[in-house]
Amino acid sequence: MRSEILSLQEKMKKKEITAQEVLKSTLVSVHENQEKCNSFVTILEDAKVNENGGILQGIPYALKDNFSTRGILTTGSSNTLKNYVPVYDATVYEKLKQAGAICVGKTVLDEFGLGGTGTTGHTGVVKNPWDESRQAGGSSAGSAAVVASGAVPFAIGSDTGDSVRKPAAYCGIVGYKPTYGMISRYGLFPFASSLDHVGVLTRSVMDAAIVVDAIKGLDDKDMTSFDSSSIHLAENLQNGKLDSKKLFYIKEIADISSYENPSEELKDALSLFQKTLEQAKEVGFEVYEESMDETLLAAIPSTYTCISCAEATSNLSNLTGIIFGPRGESRNITDMMVEHRTKGFSPLIKRRLIIGSYVLQKENQEKYFLNAQRVRHLIVDKMNDFFEKYDALILPCSSGGAKPLEGELEVLNKSSMILENHMVIGNFGGYPSITIPNGLVNGLPVGVNLTSKIKSDASLLKMASLLEEKMDIHYELGGKSL
Amino acid sequence: MNFTKDLIDDLASKLLFELSDEENKMVLDEFEEIERNMNLINDIGDICKIEPLTHPFPLESTVLREDDEVFELRQEEVLQNAQDKNLTSVIVPKVVGE
Amino acid sequence: MSLIPTIGIEMHCEMKSHTKVFSLARNTYSEEGNIHVSPLDIALPGTLPVLNKECVRKAIMAASLLHCEIPKYLYFDRKNYYYPDLPKGYQITQSHAPIGVNGKIVVPKKEEELEVLIHDIHLEEDTAQIEHIKDLSYINYNRAGVPLLELVTEPCFHSKEDVIAFLEYMRRVYQYTDISDADVMKGQVRCDVNISLSEDDTLGTKVEIKGVNSFSNIALVIDAEIKRQEELIHSGRQDEIIQETRRWDEATGTTKRMRNKADAVDYKYFVEPNIPKICLDSDWILSIQKSIPVLPMERLKKYTKEYGLSYVDANTLLKEKAISDYYDECVDTSIDPKVACNWVTTVILGFLNKEYKTISDISLMPKQLKMVIDKVSGGVISSKQAKEVILKSLESSCDPSEFLSDDMAQISDEDTLIKIVDAILEKSENQIQAYRAGKTNLFGYFVGQVMKETNGKANPVKTKKLLEKRLNQ
Repeated sequence: MRSEILSLQEKMKKKEITAQEVLKSTLVSVHENQEKCNSFVTILEDAKVNENGGILQGIPYALKDNFSTRGILTTGSSNTLKNYVPVYDATVYEKLKQAGAICVGKTVLDEFGLGGTGTTGHTGVVKNPWDESRQAGGSSAGSAAVVASGAVPFAIGSDTGDSVRKPAAYCGIVGYKPTYGMISRYGLFPFASSLDHVGVLTRSVMDAAIVVDAIKGLDDKDMTSFDSSSIHLAENLQNGKLDSKKLFYIKEIADISSYENPSEELKDALSLFQKTLEQAKEVGFEVYEESMDETLLAAIPSTYTCISCAEATSNLSNLTGIIFGPRGESRNITDMMVEHRTKGFSPLIKRRLIIGSYVLQKENQEKYFLNAQRVRHLIVDKMNDFFEKYDALILPCSSGGAKPLEGELEVLNKSSMILENHMVIGNFGGYPSITIPNGLVNGLPVGVNLTSKIKSDASLLKMASLLEEKMDIHYELGGKSL
Repeated sequence: MNFTKDLIDDLASKLLFELSDEENKMVLDEFEEIERNMNLINDIGDICKIEPLTHPFPLESTVLREDDEVFELRQEEVLQNAQDKNLTSVIVPKVVGE
Repeated sequence: MSLIPTIGIEMHCEMKSHTKVFSLARNTYSEEGNIHVSPLDIALPGTLPVLNKECVRKAIMAASLLHCEIPKYLYFDRKNYYYPDLPKGYQITQSHAPIGVNGKIVVPKKEEELEVLIHDIHLEEDTAQIEHIKDLSYINYNRAGVPLLELVTEPCFHSKEDVIAFLEYMRRVYQYTDISDADVMKGQVRCDVNISLSEDDTLGTKVEIKGVNSFSNIALVIDAEIKRQEELIHSGRQDEIIQETRRWDEATGTTKRMRNKADAVDYKYFVEPNIPKICLDSDWILSIQKSIPVLPMERLKKYTKEYGLSYVDANTLLKEKAISDYYDECVDTSIDPKVACNWVTTVILGFLNKEYKTISDISLMPKQLKMVIDKVSGGVISSKQAKEVILKSLESSCDPSEFLSDDMAQISDEDTLIKIVDAILEKSENQIQAYRAGKTNLFGYFVGQVMKETNGKANPVKTKKLLEKRLNQ
């Protein structure tokens, strides 16, 4: 089974290469990637091999810059925290250290994770390693770009709507977010707490399993985390068996007949998806078509906007420049906070926060925020019904490859609005959800997404791995495979 | 609901930031889109009878924290990132009113 | 035109616990700033609240003793607003499902009873402390995240006396149950007061006065606000009474409109996503309810009605739970309630006050006290001697029996006493004649002589009887 982590460790074991050499050459590749894609806020030149001897011993990785790292600048890619050096470690960072992994840099995101383009970070846009005129996707833009370039075997991201899975698709790699609460969020800068997940970006399903095995677990610092000690992802990939392999897709999203005047790109994307379904059947999957109420589907993006923006409004209220972050210069305390926030936030964040604040206002809450939470409930109930019958939902990740950096920024084609946004369903219900590359559209990578019921991560990865093996896609970018 | 520039500016000021005219315009456009979509939601029958979902799923058991373990930052860590401080406090311009 | 004031109270009380309600920093007062602070207390990005079980236990206890309904699920809400003492930009509190709703409690008001209706009681966190010096403010986060219980009454009071009676009683209840030290001097209790005036049963316009921090100020606030509203009504300026938030200005003794009207703030409450909805175990609630000690009101009834103590004495015993517990134990060891009250309120409390000690500092056990008291009623020692023995025992922390010697025993044997009395009378011919001639105040002289002869051990009652008998022969 494909695993760069295991083969790298094998080489180190056989003394073909030392951990020091791995680290050194990784830093070289990291700099090359930085030149090309601008993936990093901080590169840790003085990263050291630790001898903790865990399951990730000697493996270098990149960490999204919204995870708190003691003594290491952590910005959330925001000017509000451009000088912030945390005094405590995120649980994920701590666990990776214990497992022997080496953090080589902190990667760029859309400011605080609000955004899906990788263009709103305070250190500039992140470019797609496949085509530098295109977006890497977001918000885990830097993490996706650096893994796709081959510089590190894995990177940590966070996923509130599809922020791990979407950039993974656009960069041609694996993006996986486990069940909500399987990985502690302690130390993850919040965007929308009820939707935020920690996720991983890798170049194989096996590597995603190995990394999540190392960082998951009940954390007494996160009340929403749960005990997953009976779940062994990597072990199950190697030795586990699947009792049933029933996939379903939603016709209104994935069938070309649901679209009026589809673009050529969309046609290609959906026919590639059909091909993937055929390949799935060839390795023993049963594939079913299901239908979902169109009103409910159409409400998904707004539901997400209402809930995520509302929670973000509150979560980002600690950014005033009083205890951390650059101070406003005014000698009036309110003006001082206003200055900090006006200068610190990008226009996109301000728009999101205004929406969030509006939908939470007393007179609007019922119609917007609470109704959005009700729709979330309806969607989750509907999905749970599906998961009674099927093992996983399979859908294309997008209507095509990565979007160009210049031009129609964030203007969405209404007809493909749902196709572009359906992965938030995984966040609504806290479902485990994984994206794997399934081919190219117009020469750019796209992905296929599998989502299953909560806590069924082990069988989800097993299914993804079967499909991965069948599709047998190998990308070499820059030929920097270690 | 009529979304106006003033409404948006008022919302921004309550959030303690200012918007440029261009930013204000962008929010206005977005609001129209959201309004259209939220009206869709309101068309879903008996929507008000559904319980709002506040967490992805209920946890089977939550063990509350025992009141014993202590963790505190050192005083200099508390103050480390504050731009204006003395040895024991964070300092801000005088807070007036209530 | 007579106007009736209607008053509601929000009582915020800092709870007693080892650590804060959502963080691992200590919940303790300190002179030194910013030493009891966790990453959450200063809202460092990425921190999460972790609920303290002990705070929940005490909140359930408070809700129970207020006879509130307790919800099946425990969860929290965010109250969003910007203020420099609120690091997160929101306070974690309970607005949708407070830990207790619709309660009531009967409190003593002088020698009467007063029923107070409780709207709700909820668990929340305190803010940081800000000190203003010249043109700067200094923020100390030690208090940020300290557990608070907020008790909201219905507008059910009509006089400041009722309000004070309620607050004093709640303070005592919190102390009895160890929910809080409720130390007003340390700022652990802070109140908001709602006042409206009306001629009839309909409620007038409600005015809120926020952040009153002592009970004596509450009385002043109520007087001042009633006066202000009365004057407006009587001068036909009723319109000027608006629903608003005011503050107490100590310097002028009046209430003042707040600069930023807090009631204009929309707190945008929503359910805290970082704390799951927790199903409250009914067995746990029951066990918490069983652990509630007998409350002062019930003890007061028992002391006055059953034991026949005066209201003043009963209140002296009830001032502290430990004293009341000690007294109850005395009665349980079958010391007569009134006798026990006398010993506890005069001898023991007198000693404690003099020595600045608390009842937990003394080693004298109620059964030891009983042993000494029994010796008095058995005529073995005098009550004066008993008091000396008890005081010696309190001072030395030794068993009182060590101070009871055979030597000390009273002489009660009649034959012995007759011999002593006769010997004295034989030497007092002149005095006897004077006495018999009408100088009856010489009786004390004879008693004194007997006492002198016996080193004070003669049973005074019997001595008097014998002397009377002999002298009046």
